[in-house]
Amino acid sequence: MMFRIENLHVHYGLSHVIQGISIEARPGEIVGIFGRNGVGKTTLMKTIAGWVGPSGGEISLDGTRLDGLAPDRICRHGVGFVPEDRRIFPGLSVEENLKLGLMQRSGRSRAEEKAEIDLIYDRMPRLAERRRQAGTTLSGGEQQMLAMARVMVGRPQLALIDEPSEGLAPMIVADIFAIIKEMKASGAIVLLVEQNVNGALAVADRFYAIERGAVVLAGDAKDSADKARLMDAIAV
Amino acid sequence: MTDVFEYIQFVLAPQMITGLALGVAVVLVAIGLTIIFGLLDVINMAHGEFYAVGAYVALALGTSGVSFWLLLIIVPLIMIPIGYIVERGLIQRVFNMPDRHVTTLLLTFGLGLVVEEALKVVFGPNTQRPATPIPGAIEVMGIILPTYRLFLIAVGFAIVAAVAIVVNKTRLGALVRAAAFDRNMAASLGVPVSLVFAGTFAFGVALAGLAGVLLAPIYSVFPTMGRDFVFLAFTVVIVGGMGSISGAVVAGLLITQVQAISSLIVSPVWSDPIVFSIMVLVLVVRPQGLFGRLGHA
Repeated sequence: MMFRIENLHVHYGLSHVIQGISIEARPGEIVGIFGRNGVGKTTLMKTIAGWVGPSGGEISLDGTRLDGLAPDRICRHGVGFVPEDRRIFPGLSVEENLKLGLMQRSGRSRAEEKAEIDLIYDRMPRLAERRRQAGTTLSGGEQQMLAMARVMVGRPQLALIDEPSEGLAPMIVADIFAIIKEMKASGAIVLLVEQNVNGALAVADRFYAIERGAVVLAGDAKDSADKARLMDAIAV
Repeated sequence: MTDVFEYIQFVLAPQMITGLALGVAVVLVAIGLTIIFGLLDVINMAHGEFYAVGAYVALALGTSGVSFWLLLIIVPLIMIPIGYIVERGLIQRVFNMPDRHVTTLLLTFGLGLVVEEALKVVFGPNTQRPATPIPGAIEVMGIILPTYRLFLIAVGFAIVAAVAIVVNKTRLGALVRAAAFDRNMAASLGVPVSLVFAGTFAFGVALAGLAGVLLAPIYSVFPTMGRDFVFLAFTVVIVGGMGSISGAVVAGLLITQVQAISSLIVSPVWSDPIVFSIMVLVLVVRPQGLFGRLGHA
């Protein structure tokens, strides 16, 4: 299984936001996407998830073209999306939010679905304690946990995670990164957009740096020279 | 003191019960309207005509011998594919246009006119009144109450309760609420949003049709019945909060009581201006209505 983006272009009206991005990732790999604000990282994630239509190029997972498909069909091809602003449904309880995540994979029995939810509650006991509460009454960290958990119950082949540490306390950030590593261990491809570059590099295998809608650098997250070039490229 | 009791017993209470029956009737029409607005963000100007279609289908089938009780099941089942086709064939075609609100409003307004004129052509312009399915009246504490109105109140509350349970307590309802709040996120979790949209629109249309069956014996059947009734339903939806089921129920019962009681105090011709003034006041003071939208906390 391989995730591949080839020569992707995205326009917002006259604005050419993504200008020919090509990236690839393999199972069990965390790939960091870095760059300054406004360079197109979130647009890239939204385009893969189907929220934004590409104006050119190809997106494929395991040989299946995803570009041009509706978000629900992309999801059913094994793509999970944790967006930047978490998008917890305020009218739904924690458990209802989680159960919605079960829609990502059909064909599971009620018992299997319950077991999947119980696994999440074992891993994130705070969510279990608050299962009946409205999702938006949770703290920022708990909401991020819920957003991640909601995707995890679908066991995606490709997880798109956009700015998971934004505005969170360091202890919670460590837990979030631990969860991302668990996703990788389960064999998923993780595409991680993150402003906390050092934190992300600690868990990532490879990275791409984006500038003005194009990849300007690709490197190994464990290689000191590559990391130094990354810091120069994104000027952090 | 006796005069006060007699006024309550023979004037106020019957008037309030008549208002309650009308309130339940308006809620039945408004609830489909508000669900469609809450989920699709579409102001369905043809909703009244779907209510009229339900009444006419019931009239036609009733005339050919189908029992009223069977109509309560058959008519909504007939309305579901009609609603589904309208959503898929018309609403979805313009749904992603930048000026969606205006386009869908005009589109459904036009559809309503087409349906109204078609009803005139097929069934004629005259008013028709189906037989009351449950004739007679019962006396409660000295007040004579038409049996069918009491039945309507009971069935109306049961339907509203059933809809509230489905929307608020089931997984299907959770899908609807999630899609109403954030269609992209819901879709990215695998919710088939376009199917949910079409299904919910069809459900709203079926509710309008069911209201048509239930209300025809009281308010009669005529081609413009939808237009007349839907103004009150729109008022209820706006006052209750566009997209709120509980808002539609509270506002529907409140507004019809205001209408009923005010007509005892001032001339009944003023009851409509009073009710529509409440809508204007709510839009100015609390534009979001009394309650929140579907899918919002």
